[in-house]
Amino acid sequence: MKYFRNLVKPYMVWSFVMIVVPLLLIVLYSVTTGGNSLVNIQFTLDNFAKIAEPIYLAVFIRSFKIGVITVLICFMMGYPLAYIISKFSEKVQSILILVVTIPMWINMLLRTYAWISLLSDNGIINSLLVSLGFEPVTMMYTDFAVAVGLVCDFLPFMVIPIHTSLSKIDKSLIEAAYDLGADRVQTFFRVVFKLSLPGVVNGVIMTFLLAISSFVIPKLLGGGQYMLIGNLIENQFISIGDWNFGSAISLLLAVVILFLIHLMKKIDPDETEED
Amino acid sequence: MKKFVSLILAAVLVMGVLSGCSGEEKKVLKVYNAGEYIDKSLLSKFEKENNCTVIYETFDSNESMYTKIMSGEKYDILVPSDYMIERLIKEDFLQPVDWSLITNKENLMDEVQNQSYDPGNVYSVPYFWGSVGILYDTTVVDEADIKEGWNLLKNTKYAGNIYMYDSERDSFMVALKALGYSMNTTNTEEIDKAYEWLVEQRDTMKPVYAGDDVIDNMISGNKAMAVVYSGDAAYIMSENPELSYLEPEQGTNIWYDAMVITKDCTETELAHKFIDFMLDEENALANTEEVGYSSPVKSAFEEMKTGTYAGICAYVVDTGYEKNEVFRYQEPETKKYFADLWTKVKAY
Repeated sequence: MKYFRNLVKPYMVWSFVMIVVPLLLIVLYSVTTGGNSLVNIQFTLDNFAKIAEPIYLAVFIRSFKIGVITVLICFMMGYPLAYIISKFSEKVQSILILVVTIPMWINMLLRTYAWISLLSDNGIINSLLVSLGFEPVTMMYTDFAVAVGLVCDFLPFMVIPIHTSLSKIDKSLIEAAYDLGADRVQTFFRVVFKLSLPGVVNGVIMTFLLAISSFVIPKLLGGGQYMLIGNLIENQFISIGDWNFGSAISLLLAVVILFLIHLMKKIDPDETEED
Repeated sequence: MKKFVSLILAAVLVMGVLSGCSGEEKKVLKVYNAGEYIDKSLLSKFEKENNCTVIYETFDSNESMYTKIMSGEKYDILVPSDYMIERLIKEDFLQPVDWSLITNKENLMDEVQNQSYDPGNVYSVPYFWGSVGILYDTTVVDEADIKEGWNLLKNTKYAGNIYMYDSERDSFMVALKALGYSMNTTNTEEIDKAYEWLVEQRDTMKPVYAGDDVIDNMISGNKAMAVVYSGDAAYIMSENPELSYLEPEQGTNIWYDAMVITKDCTETELAHKFIDFMLDEENALANTEEVGYSSPVKSAFEEMKTGTYAGICAYVVDTGYEKNEVFRYQEPETKKYFADLWTKVKAY
């Protein structure tokens, strides 16, 4: 086995160069001023002080709100879906999981553009409404459009971990619950749901992270004035060129996310047992 | 063992691919231009005529182009706008154009040359030019309201019916001009007032800050008004005849996009050939027909004005208003001041 352990070393070097060094650079940028070239830098905490301005805090709050909404909808749709899938025979299950992931084979941008042509003022849905005699509805550039885009893109990340947890459940535990007199509802909430919690936690974390850090979907479906944290960071790096402030926001976001993951893991029974 | 063999095979494969690239004899020209801003068939025509390869990449704004260059990416030819060219000149990124190699120089219009961003056109050769204005739906917008100029964008009759352009300098230009200031102001009081104008507009009008998606949206008539570049307006109007284009009397931004050669460029002869190629009368016409922006080449401009785009006012840039201006280079402090406020306008 020792021989194979050496094979890990190139990967260690790789991950150091590609993951650790950029992270350190972000930390360095976030506590300095002096532009992007790192030639004449000065240390400062102004970048973090700037985030405390109410306008930027509002962006954080808006992002978390849309993140929570996305997670909730994904969960409401994803759990039943995963549950139904797990009821089929194993062969059918793998096909159904494949079906769930099929949308991910298509480029995310294309999927988002498809939503634009569906939701826009003269789009497919509105033309249908008008031809049926209803008033057209404005859907583009609203919370609704952004939420639809996010849910549609991230649903598989909720379904797959939950399905994995569900399919791992020992059937004899469910039989035991019935034998001991639990009805179907009790069995579900007391046994099945509890045992699937690790999957739920993973799914929630995944979709939440993706939702609050995404920037392409809100930009395309919400318009340029729809600013989430991801857009704020993208703006600082791409169009405004203030890498220092952008790094400070990224760092803060990373810290907040780590904290949230820690909180979520507390719910996960597998993890707490180990503690 | 099997893994080891496949590893070696993979390595050999990669080496083959790499050497395949460097082994080519053909000269390579790297061009960096705005998106949807060229007739692509011209590129293959140029490649055929000069037996070279053109690597053509696109950016979505001058700022993102600048960021990319700053990160060390190398290009031979860039096509930025006036104020960005001024900045690149100041920061010593460009090499002078050898005008003796530009045989089609005579084709250029006088109006587009010798502008304040590059006096004497030492570094730049005009590519397209135009203005910024309001594209409006004549069936929705009342003719009587037109004379409000930029303040039309604050007329609550049209609340929720407006696209603004998602760009820092253009949005502030609109606000500054509406207030009667210069769009190149460095006076923080004036800039603050413009910021308030934009925030108030966001509150009362609920505009959408759109990018290039405005083109499709206006063609299908989704909203009544949009702040757009004249070239986009010309194209949109050619697709949707119910629209018209307004250049407010309060003055607007007259802009010039021009081709420049970077200091990194080693194939200077080929770069000059490319610039000369774009000024050729036939090529310029093909380009302006495809893109819809106003050509700086006399014959192409006239041909479009009287032919393909006859009656489309947005194609003919109105340089008449005395309050029109060209964007100038901003000192870093001013730029940062604008950038902070712009972030706030959008995050508001």
